Amino acid sequence: MTHLITLQAELERSRRRRQWVQLLMLALVLVTVLGSVQVIIIEDTDWARVGTFGQIMESVGRFMALDWSLIPHLGIPMLETFLMACLGTILGLFFSLPVAWFGALNVTPSKRILYPFGRFLMTLSRSIHEMVWALIFVAAVGLGALPGILAIAMRSVGFISKITAEAIENIDPKPVEAIRAVGGNNFQVMTYGILPQIKTVVLGTIIFEWDINIRRSAIMGLVGAGGLGLTFFRQMAMYNYGGVTVVILAILSLILLGEILSHYTRKAIV
Amino acid sequence: MSILQVQNLKARYAQTGDDILKGISFDVAEGDFYAIIGPSGAGKSTLIRCINRLVEPSEGSVSLFGQELTTLSARELRKTRRHIGMIFQEFNLVNRMSVMDNVLSGRLGYVGTTRSLFKLFPRSDIQRALELLDRVGLIDHVDKRADQLSGGQRQRVGIARALMQDPQLLLLDEPTASLDPKISRDVMQLIRDTARDLGIPVLCNIHDVALAKEFCNRILGLQSGRMMFDGKTADLADSDLERIYELEVL
Repeated sequence: MTHLITLQAELERSRRRRQWVQLLMLALVLVTVLGSVQVIIIEDTDWARVGTFGQIMESVGRFMALDWSLIPHLGIPMLETFLMACLGTILGLFFSLPVAWFGALNVTPSKRILYPFGRFLMTLSRSIHEMVWALIFVAAVGLGALPGILAIAMRSVGFISKITAEAIENIDPKPVEAIRAVGGNNFQVMTYGILPQIKTVVLGTIIFEWDINIRRSAIMGLVGAGGLGLTFFRQMAMYNYGGVTVVILAILSLILLGEILSHYTRKAIV
Repeated sequence: MSILQVQNLKARYAQTGDDILKGISFDVAEGDFYAIIGPSGAGKSTLIRCINRLVEPSEGSVSLFGQELTTLSARELRKTRRHIGMIFQEFNLVNRMSVMDNVLSGRLGYVGTTRSLFKLFPRSDIQRALELLDRVGLIDHVDKRADQLSGGQRQRVGIARALMQDPQLLLLDEPTASLDPKISRDVMQLIRDTARDLGIPVLCNIHDVALAKEFCNRILGLQSGRMMFDGKTADLADSDLERIYELEVL
């Protein structure tokens, strides 16, 4: 009996302790949020420049006065944006293949050196933002669509190679054994034993990445790497807010087009 | 005439260093259908993979038509593997490829890398593949994907692929273990008849003793990596079987 009582007391104590911890956590979150609001919003904003409600609405209104005269000048940048995304994706795939080969544990030529190197390249590609890649390539090869294509390719490598490497790691090893047994070389093992098994996964990934790359490609121009972003940047520089909105609409329609196309192509291959 | 000679063959696990095969010696002669029987884990699969070096033996010698295989370079090994057909327990087909392409992949050791990339097999290979598919009774399934076939049909594709190599030796790794009894017998019969027609000796892992006795002329009994019996099927006594399967009885 006494045993039960001590057990019950112990249980209640631990319950109470848990409740205190929960309360403490809640308080901590609250203090952090309120503190942040105080420091980075209330103190850091230039309230004099925000203006009255009316002034804010007026600014928004300026964006609403669409500048339709821009439309004839959007065709070429839209096409450029679209092609940048396509070429960037294809180039990215091209770079991804060796990276995936290095970074897949079951096929890597060297577990000690090339495997970590492949994994490092995957992380590097993704941890540098596409705009930063674009800045690097604009500095390296100058203005235009080429740095945009290179930036998109570099940024795409991470995702495509990572998914591909994982697909390679998950293949059924039995056909590979069979191709080795008939005397196939390493390349034939890859094309006959591995490739058919990862084909759909890789194709699906490429389509997905291409879809994202249309978005990326649309803003490349902000740092001088061609496409709709450049038009956007020019309209902004001219304070032509109506034109800015039209460019945004153009980007939106391009992205929608990409969504629709990728939806149907993905359906077709799976 | 002896075609395959195995002497004092040993193999061990890379990780633990334990011996899987503890000195195996036998000869496969012309016209032999050689069975390797034994309980699970006896080393049957390892033994058969040591012949074409899908598993590297640690000691001993394997020679095919007098050529030592254990010391071959990677390139020479690929050339030699072309002449050793292999049939697997789980067929080891490329499921997403057509039956035809699977059979043609038996020629990969002969066609160049570039040709194989674009599946440009010589016309004679395609003709031979059709002949073999006809022989194994799959001529109506040429264009199907391999994963659309039943187990017995898939193993027939596996047989056609191995024969496509123009092999001088056939290795079978539990060819019937994934099949039902009736189809198992059909498959064994097909292999025996074809091997006989083409004059190819066969070395076959099999855990079904009844099938081994029915189809094979010689039997090698293996238990925990040791040879417990090697001789003609007719000489295999019940007491020998007891010794081979000793551990399982316990």
